Amino acid sequence: MLSKLAWRNVKRQLGNYLIYFMTVAFTVAMLFAVNNIIFSENLTVFTSGSRERQGMLLGLVVLISAIVAFVLSYATSFMLKLRKREFGTYLTLGMTRKNILAIFISETTIICLVALGLGLALGLFIYQGLAAVMMSLLEMEFALADYSPRGLALTVGLIVGIFLLASLTSALYLRRVSIYDLIHGDKKVSRGVKHPALWFGVTLVSLCLMVGSVIFFDRGIEEAVLRGSFASGTMLALLVFAVAVILFHIGLARGLIYVLLKRRGLCSRGTNTFVFRQLSGTLGSNSVMLGFLAFLLTFAVIGSNVSFVQKAGQEAQLDRAVPYDVVYTSNLNFEEETAEGAEDGLTGEPDESLAGEPDESLAGEAEGILPDEAEAVIEKYVAIKGQYAYRLYTSGQNDFYSRTRWQGDGYGGLVDSYMKLSDFNALIGPLGYEEVTLENQYMVIANIPEVEALDWEDFVYSRNGVDYTFHSATGDYPMFSYVFFYVVIPDEAVEGMRPEVSYVVFDTEDGEYDAVSLKKELTYLTPSDYYDDGTMIERCDYTLREYSRQQENHISAILVVGALFVAVVFLFMAMAILALKTLSTLAEDRRRYQVLSRLGAGVREQRRTLFRQTFSFFLLPFAVPLLVSIPTAYISGHIMRLSGMEALAGQVPVIAGATAAVMAVMYLLYYTAAYLIARRAVVDGG
Amino acid sequence: MHEILKLDNVTKYYGSGTVVTRALDGISFSVEQGEFTAIMGASGSGKSTLLNVIATIDRVSSGDIFVDGQKLSGMKEDALSAFRRDRLGFIFQEYNLLDTLTIGENIVLPLNLRRESAADTRKELSRVARALGVEDQLTKFPYELSGGQRQRAACARAIITGPALVLADEPTGALDSQNSKILMQTFSMMNRSLNSTILMVTHDPVVGSYADRVLFLKDGKIWSEVLKGDRDRQEMYREILSVTAALGGESDVI
Repeated sequence: MLSKLAWRNVKRQLGNYLIYFMTVAFTVAMLFAVNNIIFSENLTVFTSGSRERQGMLLGLVVLISAIVAFVLSYATSFMLKLRKREFGTYLTLGMTRKNILAIFISETTIICLVALGLGLALGLFIYQGLAAVMMSLLEMEFALADYSPRGLALTVGLIVGIFLLASLTSALYLRRVSIYDLIHGDKKVSRGVKHPALWFGVTLVSLCLMVGSVIFFDRGIEEAVLRGSFASGTMLALLVFAVAVILFHIGLARGLIYVLLKRRGLCSRGTNTFVFRQLSGTLGSNSVMLGFLAFLLTFAVIGSNVSFVQKAGQEAQLDRAVPYDVVYTSNLNFEEETAEGAEDGLTGEPDESLAGEPDESLAGEAEGILPDEAEAVIEKYVAIKGQYAYRLYTSGQNDFYSRTRWQGDGYGGLVDSYMKLSDFNALIGPLGYEEVTLENQYMVIANIPEVEALDWEDFVYSRNGVDYTFHSATGDYPMFSYVFFYVVIPDEAVEGMRPEVSYVVFDTEDGEYDAVSLKKELTYLTPSDYYDDGTMIERCDYTLREYSRQQENHISAILVVGALFVAVVFLFMAMAILALKTLSTLAEDRRRYQVLSRLGAGVREQRRTLFRQTFSFFLLPFAVPLLVSIPTAYISGHIMRLSGMEALAGQVPVIAGATAAVMAVMYLLYYTAAYLIARRAVVDGG
Repeated sequence: MHEILKLDNVTKYYGSGTVVTRALDGISFSVEQGEFTAIMGASGSGKSTLLNVIATIDRVSSGDIFVDGQKLSGMKEDALSAFRRDRLGFIFQEYNLLDTLTIGENIVLPLNLRRESAADTRKELSRVARALGVEDQLTKFPYELSGGQRQRAACARAIITGPALVLADEPTGALDSQNSKILMQTFSMMNRSLNSTILMVTHDPVVGSYADRVLFLKDGKIWSEVLKGDRDRQEMYREILSVTAALGGESDVI
């Protein structure tokens, strides 16, 4: 009998259950899609990469599921409260609380099972879409992705867990609530907010904290980019921002209406007072929930922006970090050998086409796989167009370092590094840079932006009886060595210097190849420097641009898909809570709007009033997160500019704008659905 | 005298096909300006339907209703809303004060809907609040007031726009006898001092006795009419009782 009642209730309450149903179905679909991504055999992101990435995304899924459980518990309690009177009547008719709980759980089980089915069906498509995005990010050929039984099992497991948690909340509510509250609960009037002026003050202080923390964070990031280390308090600024976002919304929800109601001119117009008072009750009693939602949405927006910007900057970063297809690096342990001595073994003149011969002199200088051996290995995978060997030299002095902050205690071992002008020109030529001419001058190449900003102009470097004056300090060139900075000087100036690091760069034919296998072949076992027990570690002296690109692609793919997942779920959860909250008060709203109607408010005015009331409620936790796109874009652009990616910095506002627009459209669609349901029930007498 | 309300052969049917209920059956009467009229009758006699069609909340099946010379039938929805806002005042059994608004905000709501200026609104609020003795309650919320106080606030809201006609639907239905008496004295004051034209539906002969004229409805028709004339309220009450007894004793006489 109870199951029959539950089934009838579901059919009767279909309108009220719609949002709940959509929320569960969409959550199932998203979880199913992401779980399949995690366990996919097609997507090499996890199979070829570290299992840690899989764990990371799995952890994210569980965390999101916990948030979903919280939201659905909230949603279920709305559903209960929406039907308080009905359940109160059941109790007065002699049903037990267990009977009522059984009815309600049966109803939500029916809804959840149908939503699970629909969600899984929807998830089949969302998964293919998400997999296509992933394949595109991984530069894979598009193919229909395989479904994973483990992904299905995890999804069903998580949904069952979420459902049980949500049911527990309902059970606790039904166990405690009195029959009187069930029957007369909707007649209760929410009391006004206490100390609204104080809360408005909290809003203003939080706003100042938000702005202040953004400025502080931006400066901290600038410091981090320029100086390579975070200023103390940068991460604290982020924490302050998070707390300020929550407090701002709590304060706004509790204090804004108080301020608006003070404006008599505004209140005397139409239904403004009515709207403010409607909002006052709803916002005041839901302020913490709104603060929490705003927090989720804010970080969904930031996460999306950062992941997209990271993806956009990935190629440029790679161009800068690994300018050639293969780079061999070997730290040399010469004690006495001078540049002149080392010069003998090099293949002579720099060759603009990089068609020179390998550096034979390297044999015996370093262990591992030497470039001449590597050449044959590389050729198995991709044709080599040319190669070039160059070195960094050191005078053993710190003439340049002494003008930086990397000197004194703790930096005692840092000595200046130099590159011959001919080597430098040979390296930059094929990359499209103009040849550099130095006439008794030196040029500081900054790999860390702060070096570029130092005052070098008055510094004259003397070497072998010649004075070299300042030419320029720049960070505009790719990284040909992995030091804070090095100095390019005319070839004759390195005479008598000791080779410090030896490099060989290879330029290969364009196109993809199996960089993972090549990397493996170029990797060897060597005794660990840290353990004396003969522990062997894997080491590779070759940086493969294609391998780095693939790794970056994997990270980008996880970041972008993860951020998309989080953003969509957070957005959906926020919208679901707001919609359910709006719909849970329809009965009260209907009564109030009937009074408005009798007092002469026409249907259009009532619709406008309902629109203002519901839209303001929906907008409150969403406006700041949307606006956060602006400082996020500014900071991302700032980082790009500081990192020498001026052109990409221009793309950041476009990315931020597009992200905000997509989220706003989704939000609007959901809001429209909620508004139309509310309008039908409240104004149009549905 | 100026005719504020005129009903001409008003009929209202509910249902369709073979199941048709005739709630109003060719009712015609008129109310003059400043008149206080009560409608009485047994349950199902058509009192509330009559009030609803006059209030433009429901539409007539045939016949015409004129308020202050304006014909209601055929008016569009927006025009009807504007008409309710500008020409009618309402007082309901359950007060129908908005629980989220303060008493002051409830009272001025009709003026806000008319987009009156803030200064005029304040002036009018002060006037009606003083007249109805709710000046001290303006910043309170409805739940903080007694039933009688709430109904007086509802009266203030009903007359703040200076309506042509105040419609009251069982205004004492939720009040005890003491508060009912106070409210009816308020109605009398509104009628005499503020010259409000009142049309009130009630089932209570005591309440009906405050009116200048009582129309008795039976089966959707006007069955009888009692005029107060120069008689005092007690005499009026006795006559109402005798008419209700003659009517079938179906009304809920206390």
